[in-house]
Amino acid sequence: MIRLLLFLPLIGLSALMLAFLQATTPSYAILTGPIATVGQQKDTVSSRTFSIKVDKIIRARTLAFTRYGKPIERQSAGVWVIASVELQTKKETMTIQAAAIRGASGRLYRQTHRADGAPRLVSTKTLQPGLSSTGIMIFELPEEDAHDMTLIVSKQPSPQLDSEISIKLDQNTVETRDRTEIGDNGN
Amino acid sequence: MKQSIIRKTNRALYARIAAGIGGLLAGALSLGLSIYETRTGEEVPQSAVGTALDSGQWKVTLNSASLITRTTDGLRIADGKKALSVDLTLENLTAESSNLYRDAIKLDNVANAPIPQFYLVRDHELLWDLQPMMPETVRAVWELPATQALPKILKVTVVGTTYKPKDNLYAAPGWFNPTNIARVDLPIAPAAEGAPP
Repeated sequence: MIRLLLFLPLIGLSALMLAFLQATTPSYAILTGPIATVGQQKDTVSSRTFSIKVDKIIRARTLAFTRYGKPIERQSAGVWVIASVELQTKKETMTIQAAAIRGASGRLYRQTHRADGAPRLVSTKTLQPGLSSTGIMIFELPEEDAHDMTLIVSKQPSPQLDSEISIKLDQNTVETRDRTEIGDNGN
Repeated sequence: MKQSIIRKTNRALYARIAAGIGGLLAGALSLGLSIYETRTGEEVPQSAVGTALDSGQWKVTLNSASLITRTTDGLRIADGKKALSVDLTLENLTAESSNLYRDAIKLDNVANAPIPQFYLVRDHELLWDLQPMMPETVRAVWELPATQALPKILKVTVVGTTYKPKDNLYAAPGWFNPTNIARVDLPIAPAAEGAPP
């Protein structure tokens, strides 16, 4: 009888412990999620497979570029954010397909397809290991979300067990323009 | 000795019968419930043209329907086909850029409607992602055989989904359980010949 009474709290304790372990097990999505590297805009941020350095951030109301010889102008209800970056891959030839900006509210704005065909887009470039290459990424976001931004870059969207670099963008370096023209060499 | 054996087998028999009755009852109950649900469900509320409808992922405002002779990006409709277009405003209510608007609306009274093509009216081009908190005017275009008879009033249903922070398989967040939120009656305007796209 006394032995049984001693066992009862022990059983309760082990049940509690098991419940705690179950509640704190990370989910499959988190376990197989991205391998994140966090950095600042002034630094070159390196992950296991590639590195990135943000050169310049431009904010504009109107975006202009030439696609197949035809001038195109894109208006937005919010603002365009254009990031010029320098990328380098470490071991293999690859493309950087996924880029997004996390705005002030925490919402995630993927790079826009409305500017497809613009020159120097990173998503159209093939990066060779050891050679650095520059390009731009274009985002469209509402004005109220276009501060306290974080740039998130990876090889593919929602990477699983693959590198993802987050860079906190410095608001003071953002250059605001009314209209920006994307040329073939620098802007 | 003999009596106790008989009693035992009797008890086992009773247990089996009880279990059988319980199982049958459970089956009948679930069948009855599902029949009841199919009979009483599907009460889709009617909404007026131009009301903003919250479908979970999208805020959908259906504005008008018409037959068109050119798609929004300026291409001519193929011979033997006609195109039905619905003008709507879409706003992404989720936390990230998304192109999962194709299942947000469906046609109720057009048989064998294909998956529509979505165009961004602002750019006169195909629509890709819609950014959160940025409503855009959008045109959904269904290409149908030219011989197909169309109703005078198009019934469009807005389909809503519910957010689940953890799904049952991967414990990943997502939008599930499509349900009909509202139905809107749109009169189909005839094609304006030679009108600009």
